[in-house]
Amino acid sequence: MSLRRVRLLMWKEFLQLRRDPLLLRLLFLMPVMQLILFGYVVAADVRNLATAVIDLDRTSTSRQIEASFASSGYFAIVAHPDGETALKPLMDTGQVRIAIIIPEGTQAALDKGQNAPLGIVVDGSDSQLASVGSGYAGQIVARLNAERIDRLGVDIAAPGIDARVRVLFNPTLAQVNTMIPGLVAAILMISIMAIMSQAVVRERERGTLEQMFVTPIGRGEYLVGKVTPYALMAVGQLSLVALVGLFWFRVPFNGTFSVVLVGLGLFMLTSIGMGLLVSLVSRTRHQAQQTVMFIMIPSFVLSGFIFPIDSMPPSIVPISYLIPLTYAITVLRGSFVKGSGFEALAVQLLVMVAFAVVIFGAALIATRRRLSE
Amino acid sequence: MSWDPEALRGTPVNPDAAISVRGLTKRFGDFSAVDGIDVDVPRGQVFGFLGPNGSGKTTTIRMLTGTIAPQAGQALVLGEDVIRHPERAKRRIGYMSQKFALFEDLTVDENLRFYAGVYDLPPERFAAQRRYVLEMADLIGRENELTANLSVGWRQRLALGAATIHDPELLFLDEPTGGVDPVARRQFWDLLYDLASRGVTLFVTTHYMDEATHCNRLAFIYRGRLIAEGSPQQIRRDFISQRILEVSVGDPDAALQWLEQAEGVAEAYLSGASLHAVIGSGAQGRDELAPWLTGRMREAGFADVRAVEVDPTIEDVFVNLVSRQP
Repeated sequence: MSLRRVRLLMWKEFLQLRRDPLLLRLLFLMPVMQLILFGYVVAADVRNLATAVIDLDRTSTSRQIEASFASSGYFAIVAHPDGETALKPLMDTGQVRIAIIIPEGTQAALDKGQNAPLGIVVDGSDSQLASVGSGYAGQIVARLNAERIDRLGVDIAAPGIDARVRVLFNPTLAQVNTMIPGLVAAILMISIMAIMSQAVVRERERGTLEQMFVTPIGRGEYLVGKVTPYALMAVGQLSLVALVGLFWFRVPFNGTFSVVLVGLGLFMLTSIGMGLLVSLVSRTRHQAQQTVMFIMIPSFVLSGFIFPIDSMPPSIVPISYLIPLTYAITVLRGSFVKGSGFEALAVQLLVMVAFAVVIFGAALIATRRRLSE
Repeated sequence: MSWDPEALRGTPVNPDAAISVRGLTKRFGDFSAVDGIDVDVPRGQVFGFLGPNGSGKTTTIRMLTGTIAPQAGQALVLGEDVIRHPERAKRRIGYMSQKFALFEDLTVDENLRFYAGVYDLPPERFAAQRRYVLEMADLIGRENELTANLSVGWRQRLALGAATIHDPELLFLDEPTGGVDPVARRQFWDLLYDLASRGVTLFVTTHYMDEATHCNRLAFIYRGRLIAEGSPQQIRRDFISQRILEVSVGDPDAALQWLEQAEGVAEAYLSGASLHAVIGSGAQGRDELAPWLTGRMREAGFADVRAVEVDPTIEDVFVNLVSRQP
């Protein structure tokens, strides 16, 4: 391998990158815009959920329950149907997402020191909304119980249920804190893979690849000369996007920078490698684009970025462990939210190293086998 | 027929030739792209490698430039074994493909600098070569223009300049004049002659038959096999024992149909605006053949027919050779 020729290839690559106006936008402007746009979407908390209250008790206690729901900010009480039959059409039409049913005799039961059941009806058609909504409702009930216990000085074991939900690490349950780090990783993956997947196949289409391999340029030299400029740009891109994520969305950062940098860096390396691999085995740019799409969609769905891995069917879970994004998200969330260090994330980081080695090994083999066919 | 396709088979490769190939074979799956060819290309010649599309020309060049490996056979390029050590000959050969293989998003100067760097030219030699290429390609004053903005003729000459910036001893040209207008083609061939006069061996593939006459030697490849080889004169003489009449007529379609059925006419095909009729060696003398055919055609209703006996062109030979293949 001649360092001089690698430098020459890098010089050429930088000249070409600099002259590609679309590329710079794709590399720096697009990810930032996507982050901001999607950031608001994924981080949107459940607020002002359209709520119906069916108060069959009509006592001071029932009014107190309604008031505490109304003041929480999560629920907007929009209807007071007089029974479940009147509730159904409201739910069917989507006017109401969640309903709180206070049965007759609630106050009486509580006064007698008995458990008082509270009905919560949730529109399950949007499971995200349903689970978050019912979670909040549970919290409010728990707080109500606690207040009552304090006020009355009753024996803790007796009335109500201690349904206090303790939310670890993210006390405000702000989605933004867990979603932004994942989004940063996902967006970086999209843009770097999309760009990298074109890098080699474009030269193949134009015939410049064939021309270069008639010269003394070696395949290793070509690969290093190709990847290095992209890797350097990826570092710039990563810093920019991560900083925007931190400061625009004010994600509390509890971890150490070195963990985030190593995690993101390794992830970028695997993304570059995958893009490169796609580019090496594709015949046309179009084919490369489609392949990237096919890799991207399962990555998003199965990596735990959108749906928690814990809630996936056991037969699917192994697939999600084959996706680099899975590990990147664990590392970033762990580091941002929990402040986990190298020790806690060692497994994930090592798996990413292994991915990088395997992917670049495959790329090297692909260079030998496919470039000239 | 004096050319023997078996003549070189089994003989040792010739290290003195620019290219020496024995039994070279490349298969893609079941398909034999190149099927055991034997050929020697002497140094300092313009060697034309002719054949229809898909006959194995490009595959042969790729094996000779060390880009792909054959399944069988031997190949020496400038005395180096390109199958075992493809990197050894690379500094001494040049390659220009049918595609315009310069970087379109680099300027004229940057392209030259890149290829000069690839071959590690010292600065003073690069300066001289650069001057030569810019002059040859008529690009003085346009050094900083992106090559994407050049029109085809200029690009092609620049590509030739880049491919020869390291003064190769042997230059492979794969359909270098594809898509180029006749004037630019003529100019381009002048440049090739210029290179040849400086002792560079040229290995040129083309399917323009008129370009074949520019070559010192020709080889025809058809379906992966060599079917003829020799100088243009030899090939014309050896491969056609028949005589050719050039027939001009108002209705060439009808005439072609008639000729294809006519007794004594081995073959007939369109050649430019006129027809070529291949006559099996008949008894007619030098001046009798044309009147013999025109007489019969007038009787058949082609009143305006004119015919003249011509020397077979390379195209005639080629059509003839291909039609003889099983």
